[in-house]
Amino acid sequence: MASEAAIGTDRDGAEASGFPAGPDLVHPGIGPYRLAWRRLLRNRVALFFGGLFILIVVLCLLAPVYANDIAHTGPNVNHITDVVKVNGKSEEVVSSTGLPIGPTWQGRFLLGADKNGRDVAVRLLYGGRNSLEVGAIATLITMVLAVIVGLLAGYFRGFTDGVLSRLMDIIWAYPALLLGVALGVMLAVSGINLGLFELRGGSLLIPALIVGVVYIPYVAKPIRGQVLGLREREFIDAARVQGLGNLRIMLGEILPNLASTIIVFVPLMLANSILLEASLSFLGAGVQAPNSSWGTMISDGTRYIPAAIHLVLVPGLMLVAAVLGVNVFGDGVRDALDPRARIRIER
Amino acid sequence: MRKGSKWSSIVVFALLLSVLLAACGSSSSSSTSSGSSSGATKTVTNLMGTAPDYLDPGLGYTTQAAEPDWISYTGLVTYAHAKGAPGTKLIPGVAESLPQISADGKTYTFTLRKGLVYSNGKPVKASDFAYTIQRSMKLNWGGKSFFTGNIVGAEAFDGGKAKSISGIESDDTSGKITIHLVAPYGAFANVLAFPSAGLVPTGTAVSNLSNKPPPGVGPYMITNVVPNQSFSAVKNPYWAKEEIPGIPAGHVNINAKIVTNTQAEAEQVLTNSADVFDWADTLPSSILQQVQSQASERYAKEPTVSTFYFFLNTKNKPFSSQKVREAVAYALDRRALSRLDSGFLAPACFFLPVGMIGHPTGSCPFGDPSGAPNLTKAKKLITESGMAGTSVTVWGETREPRREYVDYFASVLNSIGLKANEKIIADATYFSTIGNLKLNPQAGFADWNQDFPNPSDFYLLLDAKSIQSTNNQNFGQVNDPHIQSELAELNKVPSTKLESVASRWQALDEYVAKKAYTAVYGYEDDPKFMSNRINFGSAIFHPVYGNDWTSWQLK
Amino acid sequence: MARFVIRRVSSMIAVLFAISVLTFLIFQAIPNGDPALRLAGRLATPQTIQDVRRQWGFDKPLYVQYFKTMGKIIDGQVISYQQQQNVEDEIAHDLPVTISLAVGSAVIWLVIGIIFGVLSAVRAGQWLDRLLTVIAMFGVSMPVFFLAALLDYYLGYKWGLFPIGGYVKLTSNPWGWLTHLILPWASIVALSVGVYSRVLRSNVLDTLGEDYVRTARAKGLSERRVLLHHVLRNSLVPIVSLWGLDLAALFGGATLLTESVFNLHGVGQYAAESIGHLDVPPILVITMLTAFFVVVFSALTDIVYAALDPRIRLTG
Repeated sequence: MASEAAIGTDRDGAEASGFPAGPDLVHPGIGPYRLAWRRLLRNRVALFFGGLFILIVVLCLLAPVYANDIAHTGPNVNHITDVVKVNGKSEEVVSSTGLPIGPTWQGRFLLGADKNGRDVAVRLLYGGRNSLEVGAIATLITMVLAVIVGLLAGYFRGFTDGVLSRLMDIIWAYPALLLGVALGVMLAVSGINLGLFELRGGSLLIPALIVGVVYIPYVAKPIRGQVLGLREREFIDAARVQGLGNLRIMLGEILPNLASTIIVFVPLMLANSILLEASLSFLGAGVQAPNSSWGTMISDGTRYIPAAIHLVLVPGLMLVAAVLGVNVFGDGVRDALDPRARIRIER
Repeated sequence: MRKGSKWSSIVVFALLLSVLLAACGSSSSSSTSSGSSSGATKTVTNLMGTAPDYLDPGLGYTTQAAEPDWISYTGLVTYAHAKGAPGTKLIPGVAESLPQISADGKTYTFTLRKGLVYSNGKPVKASDFAYTIQRSMKLNWGGKSFFTGNIVGAEAFDGGKAKSISGIESDDTSGKITIHLVAPYGAFANVLAFPSAGLVPTGTAVSNLSNKPPPGVGPYMITNVVPNQSFSAVKNPYWAKEEIPGIPAGHVNINAKIVTNTQAEAEQVLTNSADVFDWADTLPSSILQQVQSQASERYAKEPTVSTFYFFLNTKNKPFSSQKVREAVAYALDRRALSRLDSGFLAPACFFLPVGMIGHPTGSCPFGDPSGAPNLTKAKKLITESGMAGTSVTVWGETREPRREYVDYFASVLNSIGLKANEKIIADATYFSTIGNLKLNPQAGFADWNQDFPNPSDFYLLLDAKSIQSTNNQNFGQVNDPHIQSELAELNKVPSTKLESVASRWQALDEYVAKKAYTAVYGYEDDPKFMSNRINFGSAIFHPVYGNDWTSWQLK
Repeated sequence: MARFVIRRVSSMIAVLFAISVLTFLIFQAIPNGDPALRLAGRLATPQTIQDVRRQWGFDKPLYVQYFKTMGKIIDGQVISYQQQQNVEDEIAHDLPVTISLAVGSAVIWLVIGIIFGVLSAVRAGQWLDRLLTVIAMFGVSMPVFFLAALLDYYLGYKWGLFPIGGYVKLTSNPWGWLTHLILPWASIVALSVGVYSRVLRSNVLDTLGEDYVRTARAKGLSERRVLLHHVLRNSLVPIVSLWGLDLAALFGGATLLTESVFNLHGVGQYAAESIGHLDVPPILVITMLTAFFVVVFSALTDIVYAALDPRIRLTG
C-alpha cells in the first residue's frame, strides 16, 4: 500500500531543473501537449486500462439503479434471516452459524452477502463511489495545496521557503499511516468545526482531507524544485522587467510550465489516495460504518477468511482493477509527456 | 543468460546482511527460559485471544486476568470449583468459614485459617487482608468503588484523609478479621471473592507487579511473564493437597500464550498443537463447522452469565415513549443478532440472564425472542406514538460482532419508521463516551458480564443512583420509582440468603421487561474447546471464571 | 560539511519536536479520550477518576504533561496506559521481529527490483518489458493487507505450504524463522518491486544515452561489461538512496499492516494495537522512532549523493 513515499532525487532542484519545461520540447509546428496526446493515443495498453477505470467509475455511479432495479435492496439494509431462491433451492442468506451466502450469480446477492446479510454487489458499487470520491477529493486537496506550497516556497525562497519546507518535512517524516489513523480516530466522533467550515463525524470528507494532507509533501517538494529552476529562466526575468507583479508571474508564467508535472501527478495521487484510504480503513479510520468503501469491505472481510473468501476477493479485485487502471494509464500519460520521464511512481 | 559473478555476489551479500541484522536484533531480545519447577508435572498450553489486563491481582479486572488470578490469590471467601449453579456458591477461602454477618447486615466477621503460607513460604497474617484491600485501592483497581462505597473509612483512606481503612480490624494472634460496612450490602461477600481481594503479603510493593506477580495463597503461582506474549501458571510448591477444602491442587502446569488472531488460535487447538481455546473469544464461523464435525467430542457451547442489550434513552425522544420502546422489542429479530455472533447468542428478552437468580421463567411480553419479529405491530406502534421519522443516533464500538449488532439495529430502526444513523467509535473510548452524561446518547450497544453471581450486580445498570456525570453505566438513564424501592430492599439481602428473594427479583425483572426499558436480545454462550490431550469431561467450565485451570488433566 | 551536519541535526530535532507535540495534541483532542476514564475502569466513581488523574498527572497543564512524558521517554521510563508496561522494553522486545521483516523484505525487493529493472531496460519495448511492467503495476496497485490476506489464505491456509502467522526467533529455530517470514516478506516485496524496477528501468535508459556509455561501446567493450560497469553502477545510486528511505519508512508503515495480518507481534503490530487502545505513550515513541529513521536516512542519502556527485551542494 501507499504507506510512505520517497522523494527520490528531487532535492533542491538539482535534478528537477532538468525537467522538461514546455518550450524545450516543442517540435516545429506541433504543441507539446498535442504531441503527447498523439503518443498517448498510440499506447493501446494505457488506453485500455484508462477505459477500464472509466468503466468502473460509470458502474459505481449507476449504483442506485442497480440497487433499485436489479438487487432491490439498499447498501445498508440487513437481510440476515431472509431466504433466497438459488437455482430453485431455498438458501439462507446467513446461516445459523453466521456464514454468509456466496455469489448466487443472479439479481439478488449476485456477489453474495456479508455477515449482516447485506448485498455485496450493492455495497461494492456504493463503496466504490465512496472510495473514488475520497480518492478524487484527496487528490484535489493534495494537488491544490502542493502547488500553492511549491510555488510560494520555490518562488520566494528564503524565509517563506524555510517555513514551508520545514512544514513539509514534518508531514513527510510523520509515518503516514500513524498520522492518518491518529487524525481519523480523533475526527471520527467530533468532526471538524472551524466556524463556517463544518464537517460531521461520519463525513466522507474527513478521510479525504486526511489522505489529501498526508500526501502534500510528495508533490510539493518536486514542484518547489521545478519552480526554483524556472524562476532563474530568461522569460521570468523578462516578465519582471515588464513590471509584472509576483502573483501574475507565478500564475501567468510559472504555473503553465508546471502543467505537465501536475498532469503526471494526478493519476498517481488518485491511485495512492484510494490505497491509503483502504489502509486507513483497515485500521478503523477510513470511511465510517455503516457506509462502505472498498477498503472497509476488504478489512471487514479478512475476518471471515477462510470461510467467506468472497468478502475479501470481491472488493479487493475491484479496488486493484480500479487502481491498476489509474496507474497504467498514468504511466502512459507520463511516457507520452516525456518519454525519458524523471517523475516516477514513487510512494 | 549466464549469471555474472557480480550478480551472485550482490545476492549473497544481501542475504548475509539481512541475516546478520536480524541476528543482531534477535540476540538482544530477552529470552527468559521457562524453567519448569517440578519435572514430573506436565504442561498444558492455554491460548488467550486477549492478554490479561493486569496479572497483578490488585489491578486485574478482565476475565483473562481473573482466570489465573483466581487460582493463585485466594481471598477470605471464594467460589466452589464446580460447573453450573453449584459453582456460584461461595465457600470459605483463607477464612475458616463463611462470614458471620451481624443482624443489621453491617458487620462481617472472619477467622483466618491456621498455618497458611504464601507461595514464597512466608506465613499469612490477618493484617495482610487490610493491606491487600488498601494496596488495591491505591493502585486504583477498576472495581475500587465496591470497596469505597461499602467499607467504613474506605472513602477517607482513598481521599488521603486516613492512613488506613478504619472499618477493617484484624488481630494477627487470633486471626480474627472484622469488616464494618457503611450500609447493609448483600453482595459484599461476593466482593470479597474478587481475586483482587485475594491476599498478598503486607509490604508488597504498591505498583503494577504484573510482570512479576507477588506471592499469593492458592494452588498455582504466576511466573515467566512476557508482557502481551505469554506467562505460566505453575503449581505452588507450598500448597499441600486440599490445603483448603474445596480448592483442588490442580494437575498440570499451564503455559498461557497470547494469540490475537482467533483464526490461528482456533486452528492450533483444532490441530492439537495447542490445548485450550480462550472461551472469551468467538470461534470464527469459518472454522466452527470444522470444529463441530471433526472435534465434537472436545467442543461444547457453555452458557455464560451475561446480557447483551441496546440501551434506550428513556429521558429523550423517541425512546421516552413506552410505545416506541415496545416497538423496538417487537421489531428486533434476535435470531439475526444470534447469527451475527456465529450462533453463540441465545435469544432472550429479560435483563437478568439464565444462570442468575431472579431470571424470569415466564414468557416474554413482546413476542417470542426465538421466533420471527412482528414488524407490522412495531410499525403500528411507532405511528401511534407519533414519533415516526424521529432521528436516532445509534452508538456502537468497532469490535466484532458489536459493530455488526449496531449495523443491524440501525437497519431495523430504519425499517420501522425511525431515522437512524450510526456512530461507531474506538473500543477504548466507547464506554467512557456513552457514559458521558453530557452527550446524552440516544441508543446503542451495551452488555454486562457478571462480576459476581448476584442480581444486584446487574441492576447496578438500571439503578437511578448509579447515574453519574462520567462513566455512567445507567446509559438509558432509567429512573423508575418501583425499581428504586425494590432495589432498596433487595440489595440488602446477603448473598448467602439470595434464594429467599428469588421470586421478588423475578417479579422485578418481569416488570422491567414489560416497561421495555432496555432492548435485551440475548445471553452469550462461550466455546469450551480443547485439544485431544486433555480430559474434556472432567474439565470444569466455571460459571464465574470460565475455564477452571485446576480441573485440567491430561489423558 | 560541519555546517551541513549542524544544520541537519538541528532541523531533525525541530522536526522530531514538532511531530511529538503534534501527536500529543491529536490524542488530547480525542473526545472522551481522557485516559483516566479508561485507567479507572468501567465502574469508577468520579472520585476514583479524579484520583487516577492526579496519580498520573493528567490534571497538570498540557505543557507540563508533555515535557514530563518526553523526559520519561528519554530516560526509558515511560509507561503505557494499557497494562502499564514499560514502552521501551516492549519495543526492544518486538524490534527483532520488525527488523527481520523490514530488512529482509527490503533486501529481497532491492535484488528483485534490480533484476526486473535491468531486464526491462535491456528489453525495452519488447514483450518481456511489457510483462514486467504489468507485474510491477499490479504490485503497486494492491493494498498490502489485501495481498497479505490472500497469501495467508491460499498459500498458508488452503494449500498448507507455509505456516499461518506467528513469528519464530532466528536464534531458536532459523528454519522456522525463515518459513514464518516468507509470506510477510512476499506481501511487502510485491508492493515495492514495481517501484524499483520502474525507477531503475528509466535510470538505465537515461544512462544508456549518455556520452560515456557510447564511448565505452565505441571502445569495443562487451555489452555486458558496459551494462555492469558503466550503466548499472551509475543507475544504482538513486535506487540505493531511495532504498534507504523506504526501509526507514517501513517501520510504522507497511509493517504495521503486515504484522497485524500475520500476527507477528512486532513493533508495527504493537503500534496498531496501541492505536486501538488510544495508548499515547507507545504511539508517541513509535512515531518518533520512525520519524527519526526517516530523517536520518534522508540526511545520509544527501551525503551519499553529494559524495557521488560533486555538482550537488549540500544545504540544510
